[in-house]
Amino acid sequence: MTSETSPSVSGDEASDPKPSPEDQLASLALSETDGPASGSPRENNRHNEIESAEEEVQTNSAAPGLAVVENSGEAVRRGRIGGVLWARTNSEPEADGPESPSSSGYAGERGSSSASSAGSGIYEIAEVRDDEVVDGVSDSQAAWVPGKRHVDEDDASISWRKRKKHYFILSNSGKPIYSRHGDEHKLAGFSATLQAIISFVENGGDRVKLVRAGKHQVVFLVKGPIYLVCISCTEEPYESLRMQLELIYGQMLLILTKSVNRCFEKNPKFDMTPLLGGTDVVFSSLIHSFSWNPATFLHAYTCLPLAYATRQAAGAILQDVADSGVLFAILMCKHKVISLVGAQKASLHPDDILLLSNFVMASESFRTSESFSPICLPRYNPMAFLYAYVHYFDIDTYLMLLTTSSEAFYHLKDCRIRIEMVLLKSSVLSEIQRSMLDGGMRVEELPLDPLPRSGSFSPHLGQHTLPTDSPDGFRELYGGIGGPAGLWHFIYRSIFLDQYVSSEFSAPISSPRQQKRLYRAYQKLYASMHERGIGPHKTQFRRDENYVLLCWVTQDFELYAAFDPLADKALAIKTCNRVCQWVKDVENEIFLLGASPFSW
Amino acid sequence: MGCSSSLPDRSSGRLVGPNGENGGASDAKNLRVKLVLLGDSGVGKSCIVLRFVRGQFDPTSKVTVGASFLSQTIALQDSTTVKFEIWDTAGQERYAALAPLYYRGAAVAVIVYDITSPDTFNKAQYWVKELQKHGTPDIVLALVGNKADLHEKREVSVQDGMDYAEKNGMFFIETSAKTADNINQLFEEIAKRLPRPAPPSSSQNP
Ligand SMILES: Nc1nc2c(ncn2[C@@H]2O[C@H](COP(=O)(O)OP(=O)(O)OP(=O)(O)O)[C@@H](O)[C@H]2O)c(=O)[nH]1
Ligand SMILES: [Mg+2]
Repeated sequence: MTSETSPSVSGDEASDPKPSPEDQLASLALSETDGPASGSPRENNRHNEIESAEEEVQTNSAAPGLAVVENSGEAVRRGRIGGVLWARTNSEPEADGPESPSSSGYAGERGSSSASSAGSGIYEIAEVRDDEVVDGVSDSQAAWVPGKRHVDEDDASISWRKRKKHYFILSNSGKPIYSRHGDEHKLAGFSATLQAIISFVENGGDRVKLVRAGKHQVVFLVKGPIYLVCISCTEEPYESLRMQLELIYGQMLLILTKSVNRCFEKNPKFDMTPLLGGTDVVFSSLIHSFSWNPATFLHAYTCLPLAYATRQAAGAILQDVADSGVLFAILMCKHKVISLVGAQKASLHPDDILLLSNFVMASESFRTSESFSPICLPRYNPMAFLYAYVHYFDIDTYLMLLTTSSEAFYHLKDCRIRIEMVLLKSSVLSEIQRSMLDGGMRVEELPLDPLPRSGSFSPHLGQHTLPTDSPDGFRELYGGIGGPAGLWHFIYRSIFLDQYVSSEFSAPISSPRQQKRLYRAYQKLYASMHERGIGPHKTQFRRDENYVLLCWVTQDFELYAAFDPLADKALAIKTCNRVCQWVKDVENEIFLLGASPFSW
Repeated sequence: MGCSSSLPDRSSGRLVGPNGENGGASDAKNLRVKLVLLGDSGVGKSCIVLRFVRGQFDPTSKVTVGASFLSQTIALQDSTTVKFEIWDTAGQERYAALAPLYYRGAAVAVIVYDITSPDTFNKAQYWVKELQKHGTPDIVLALVGNKADLHEKREVSVQDGMDYAEKNGMFFIETSAKTADNINQLFEEIAKRLPRPAPPSSSQNP
């Protein structure tokens, strides 16, 4: 119901002796030859060997071949009028029949008249400098100042128009609810313009999804009486921007629940801004995470690397507490999960983890003392509040205990005291500190040879470093920058676990700007691999002036890897196989296994 | 009804664990008191509590979410101690409906406004009325005009605060969390006004 991942894949396999098409696809892979896949499954190593190339996309410049304009899979018409590209999507393809109010030519017509009204609002957001990079890139919290910036701006300010990315929330009567840059109330005129476009198209039975205006994309998301809009010239795929709007909406629900809709039923002109008072920091930190946190597009969470026994100790006490009537017990360090446990049958969606941890980390007051607050988990139940007990054990490590009972504070406080005692006694808290210092997987430490499967790699994952006299000569070829074969970075997502692991950034991906660029490249790659209606992309190999990007999707995992743009393709493929093997070898330490709430 | 701190779990069916709010029973010498702070967002409730509990003042605003829980024990001249278990509630509008969750069973309510903002004084009066209607009977009410250091921006006169408090049988004080002015006095005065539990011979069991 709430978890999108079902562990039933293996069950299906068991009932079907013949390999399913997915199995065959999973076994297809990249090879040193550029030809199509051989199609013959290699049973013995199908999940950890990439062998034959299925597809290769090579681009010489940044120009992406992806012009995602609409919600694919649905009936779409487009009309290009004066540089504004309209994508009109009927909610049901068959509704395009006689009873539909729309007729062919509708989009163009409406598009043209709307385009003129949009023109004043959208077209004039002219050339954009890279000024956002200064304030919005860094992974380090120190460099990023939370909270709304540029409150003095409105839509007449040049600086406001030059921002690379705008996000708005407004009501269907055009009342501003949230704006990333500038003061909501000063932007009332602009909101009214956006609202006019939306209701114009909606009245025709359609939903605006995307408007293109020169370099800008304007993406719309309609959620009952609430409209969300993103204006961007970042070249992010439409699907990514739409998911970001979904997350912003989810963040709003986390604060207010969906019952806020009732306010609009009573009074269409309802002003929602007071209800979101003091939450600017929550939204701005979420929006900031759209440029550094892979969880925002992977829909998976990541764990702090810990020895298996350490994570088990934390999980055991959380389980104990969950058995005493706590719905979810979650222990986190910054945005990384240490352990989490759900009461029977309760499952936690990765997006809820993201939104909850963002809310807690962005709200400074949680750091001051233990707190008890209503919150809503939009994927769990968007209508109802849960109650969250939040307590910080140290500057980065915090515990969240969620319950349905508004009376449970003192019980949760007791639970926390018990948990804290156990964590201290089994030195989990100090292990967490050490893991923070040690960091996670490093491409330089990718092991050369297959490792014993049962081995533990404590104290640190990177114990097995590449010998300097590497027989493969990787080091000699690539001058010691990055990992073997020019491997710079990777992200591995386990589909079954809903978790991902990302390697540490190291040279040459060391500056925030380079990290953000790589992040965007992954995001684009992810979107192209998950596009609907384009057929199953199982592998992709792209080379441009910045990187070689390699992506491999099976039914068990997704691997995204970035290499030196001069990397040798055959070596890169070989290296990807080794990365997958490495992840498998250390999965006990980088993932939360076993008592996962997703496997209930 | 002498023992104010036995009221909470009588009026609400909440789960009380071994270390819960009723864990250490009050006696004549050692009182445990549930105190709730109410008032508009930004009037300085959290700053007052942090000044009282930790002796600190942090001028950067940290809007409270839901409510924070802190405790602090003070010793009075007559060698009794009072442990305040403080609910610092969020003044943001969306949490207003939740206030009963936190003031239910409270022996003391401290209602705070900002002397530079008449709006917050109005809001304080709203809270007084709500507590008179729905609060614990015999609740000790304190009206606090905070940010007294900003006297050049004052918009609510001392007299107005005093008059309103007197009319409603409340204790009144002006404080500054920034300078620490009157913060300890606020809590000491509250402690003095608390109803004392009956001597051990009479009922100790809730
Ligand atoms: N000058 C002055 N400023 C103060 C004083 N007390 C608080 N402030 C300022 O007022 C702002 C808000 O204070 P908080 O304590 O966070 O307000 P609050 O009542 O807890 O607000 P909510 O948590 O939203 O309900 C802070 O930024 C403080 O710097 C004071 O005594 N004097
Ligand atoms: Mg506060």
